[in-house]
Amino acid sequence: MALPERIPVFLLTGFLGAGKSTLLNELLSDPAFQDTAVIINEFGDIPVDHLLVRRGETTISQVSTGCLCCAGTTDLRATLFDLHCAASGGLTPGFSRVIVEMSGLGDPAPLVNTLMHKPVAGASVRDRTVDCAFHLAGIVTLYDIITGTVSVERHFEALKQIGFADRIVLTKTDLAKDPATRADIAALPDELHAINASAEVIDRQGIDLSRLFSPRPYSSVERGEDVAGWLALESALAAEARASSRPHENAPATRHGPGIRTFSIIADDPIPQERIRQFLAALQSSAGPGLLRVKGIVAVAESPESPLVVHVVQHAISDPARLAAWPDHDRRTRLVFITSGIDPEPVRDLFAAIISATPFSFPRLFRQLGSGLAAMVSGAHSHIANFPRRFK
Amino acid sequence: MKGFVNPLAPRPNRLQVKSAEIKAWARLLAVLPEDTPVSVVELACRDEGCPDIETVIGLMEAGKPIRTIRIHLPMAEITIEAIAAAVMETSGRNPGVTP
Repeated sequence: MALPERIPVFLLTGFLGAGKSTLLNELLSDPAFQDTAVIINEFGDIPVDHLLVRRGETTISQVSTGCLCCAGTTDLRATLFDLHCAASGGLTPGFSRVIVEMSGLGDPAPLVNTLMHKPVAGASVRDRTVDCAFHLAGIVTLYDIITGTVSVERHFEALKQIGFADRIVLTKTDLAKDPATRADIAALPDELHAINASAEVIDRQGIDLSRLFSPRPYSSVERGEDVAGWLALESALAAEARASSRPHENAPATRHGPGIRTFSIIADDPIPQERIRQFLAALQSSAGPGLLRVKGIVAVAESPESPLVVHVVQHAISDPARLAAWPDHDRRTRLVFITSGIDPEPVRDLFAAIISATPFSFPRLFRQLGSGLAAMVSGAHSHIANFPRRFK
Repeated sequence: MKGFVNPLAPRPNRLQVKSAEIKAWARLLAVLPEDTPVSVVELACRDEGCPDIETVIGLMEAGKPIRTIRIHLPMAEITIEAIAAAVMETSGRNPGVTP
């Protein structure tokens, strides 16, 4: 398949746990999207998102660890250039559309500036190729009806993701059963239009994916004064960083709020399924809103050939899904945590206590978690107390 | 009906309200016309010894480069006094910013 002259690029955004990977899975199982190249970006020190997305025969999937908006726009340019070169040279199938799944903490501003950049004389071959071959054709932002309001109130990234969208998709609307919740959902478009007046707000249920990802002219001007200002300020800050003589200022600024961090846990041995459930329940009930996201793949003792995929979004633990087989050669449990104000050590201690039955240093946990510890200790203690004797 | 407040109207977003407040204070303190575009973003800061987050205010006067004011506070904690101090400090580096 030959490459089109100008390849549309769509940004798929949405705060942590809004359902981006679920939508991507649905999309990649649709034959109409077989000519789609996907770039998956995640905020985490070990990549797991690409394992949780099923890949079709003709889909090219590239994973960029780290955050595109923090790592600078060169990562996106390099990935697009690589995709173009590989397809042009016949090394991979051609594609007629690119979807960039942004990290849940991603700031669209630097990526929009990159994709709306006009070709300039004297630019490198890579930059000229990307500027000429790709164009921004739409920004789709997913909005979780359960956690969306809190996310937009607390996290500037979530507000910007709504602000930049030309399509906002309300996700998890199928969970709304009672009339009061349905009425709340009916009011959401007005609330979202107060942030972004020109975006189309669509219900996830029964959505037409082809229409959602059909190329259209993306205009930042239509998004309003805030978006125009963010883009202009983004360019000014990038220019300041380039002009700075101080080495540390040449690094792009990170964009995430205070205390937001990511860490991972890797376990070599398969884990009894009930224990992973106990760990996630204890962690979620103890950590409260500071636990933004947990995702990962788990080697289960009862069926080591069929791993579990686990998701926790703030206060909601999704039912784990079982994969028919491992998506790669690595058979270890890999869990990624994104937290706000929670350090890795107490989470690792809790994991060790529940999963590995490792001695639990309560005094150290007290120091590390401060006022939030009482609930965690109490929760962990009751879980440990319920274990069979041989695990103690 | 001037005093009527619609109780059913969508609640304004807290961050949007704060952003509008910061823009108004910045225009006032930098002595800029009401219609001067001002942008506000919150970024993490890499400077050693600084708090890990800062608010950056961009003043966008027509025909001039964008001037930035950096305040080492989260957007929610910005006060008019903090902007006044930052404008005073910035005016030395950016002569166009009037304290």
